[in-house]
Amino acid sequence: MLEAIDITKTYETRGVETKALRGVSLAVADGEFTALAGPSGSGKTTLLNLFGALDTPTAGKILLDGQDLGELDATALADLRLAKLGFVFQAYNLIPVLSARENVEFVMELQGVPVADRHRRAHAVLDQVGLADMAEKRPLEMSGGQQQRVAVARAIVSEPRIVLADEPTANLDSKTAAQLLGIMQRMNREQGVTFLFSTHDPMVIDLARRVVRLHDGEIASDERRE
Amino acid sequence: MGEFLRALAIPSTWRMAVRNVFRNGRRTAIVVTAIAIGLGGLLVAMAVNYGMIVQMVDIAIESELGHVQIHGAGWAAKPGIEVRLPDAGVREVLEDDLAGLEAWAPRIRSEGLASSTRGNVGVTLVAIDPEREATVTTLADSVVSGAYFGEGRRRAVIGVRLANRLHVEVGDKIVVATQDIAGDMVGEAFRVAGLFESVSMGLEERTVFVKLGDGRRMLGFDQEVSEFVLVATRDEDAAALRTAVESRTAKGLEVKGWWDLRPLLQYMVDAMSQMAWTVYAAIFIAMAFGIANVLLMSVYERTREIGILSAIGMKPGRLVATLLVESLCLTALGVAAGLAIGFGGVELLADGIDLSRWSEGLTSFGVPSTIIPVLPDGEWKIPVVVALVTAILASLWPALRAVRTRPADAVRHV
Repeated sequence: MLEAIDITKTYETRGVETKALRGVSLAVADGEFTALAGPSGSGKTTLLNLFGALDTPTAGKILLDGQDLGELDATALADLRLAKLGFVFQAYNLIPVLSARENVEFVMELQGVPVADRHRRAHAVLDQVGLADMAEKRPLEMSGGQQQRVAVARAIVSEPRIVLADEPTANLDSKTAAQLLGIMQRMNREQGVTFLFSTHDPMVIDLARRVVRLHDGEIASDERRE
Repeated sequence: MGEFLRALAIPSTWRMAVRNVFRNGRRTAIVVTAIAIGLGGLLVAMAVNYGMIVQMVDIAIESELGHVQIHGAGWAAKPGIEVRLPDAGVREVLEDDLAGLEAWAPRIRSEGLASSTRGNVGVTLVAIDPEREATVTTLADSVVSGAYFGEGRRRAVIGVRLANRLHVEVGDKIVVATQDIAGDMVGEAFRVAGLFESVSMGLEERTVFVKLGDGRRMLGFDQEVSEFVLVATRDEDAAALRTAVESRTAKGLEVKGWWDLRPLLQYMVDAMSQMAWTVYAAIFIAMAFGIANVLLMSVYERTREIGILSAIGMKPGRLVATLLVESLCLTALGVAAGLAIGFGGVELLADGIDLSRWSEGLTSFGVPSTIIPVLPDGEWKIPVVVALVTAILASLWPALRAVRTRPADAVRHV
């Protein structure tokens, strides 16, 4: 369970304060397939980053399974991200000097998974996203869609409970985007992985079972669908 | 710290670092070239400087000084024929099995005036045992015309420069006038047996070498000498030899090393070393800024990538380790190329650097006209270690800057 309790986030640039989030409270339960929607500047990426322990709130608390993330130091947060969270960013997600397989294996290496096990799982996950034959290619040798699929593979290979995806389809054509979302939907259904998106892609919003709309740093609506 | 050290043992830390080194070929080439030229140039400069120092000291030792000299009490304050050494007492010590002693020779010294029919020059009259002298100095080998004394009495060996000033040649006679031990002026004619050349202008222009027996008779010495010159088996044994001789000879005798006898030479050696290290330091500082600048640029360009690594769970310690290893690999390449340039350069200059265009001025300082670069044993390791440490320190700043960046800011970076 992910919880944001009365979160405020203020950025300061050259003495000018900008409130990105204003007293947001939101709980995301295990197994959800939720989209944070809203126009640019509404605070959806900021909220996603706070849920992912990539940033700290100015006020309020972020709880992950009841643990207050504000009480953890940088190393403990890294451990927590490694154990429980997967990330897919908008673009340039991968480490350019590593092949697709190495990118996917890297998270498992950080987790201390034995080499043989890493190889086996990496190949299985790349196969799952339809890239088994691209395993030894480096990111620059792959298309944007292929790179995003590797990023999804990397995000799920360590079997995280929650995957946070920031505009994952923003740079993809509609066919590739649909393919990618299909993969994520299947994982959500079959493996119970929680997906939380920040997006303004109508395709993602249509597929989401819950849509939380943000406007000017506040929750404007919270719609659940069956 | 634990994570940092653990990361160093993980092969993928090194694999990523090596791949990052070759990621931007042009930048890597520039840094490697800069380090290589800096280090290579430094090693060659070090070798030339060290070679010159070694040769200066060697020339001084081999041409005249020896490693150690023994004089009677009071010589340092007032060198002259008034201060004499009994030959026998010291000779016994030297003929005993003295550790580190290669050879020794007795000398008598006196200031005087050398005259020919066409000129006169103030000189030092040095009376020597030709056979023994040949074991302690290069005088015998430096004779370029005539003979190294040869048979018979009243023969002199003088420098080519002195011969020119006196307008004499081999076979001509010169007269040396000096004061004997009784304080009376004495003069004696010597036939020039041979002419020698020396890189020491003073020695070649103002010294008359005669046989020990001729000197003793002329100056009124009995079985006495002015000094004993000692040569150590190795340069580094000189200090120990001096101490050993001092402890075995009679109290009051002045036993001095070449560094005491030629404090100016020692000062020059020290000053040159200090100047050299100032230059080395300047090169290293320039190199450190170069490395830091490149790494900073490299880290800045990869801010987003570092953010992603952090987001997927890479701990700060491992991130720092990866960047440090990258810097170390980059520097190691530069160091390897620098060593090749340095050792290659020294090898190429093995025949010596000809300074004969300036040798007139240089030889008066005891500097050889041809400098043979020598890399001091093991000292080349110092700049190598300093280069690697510099790289580590220079990369710490951008590495720490990278881990301090909030992942959220880093992944937003374009």
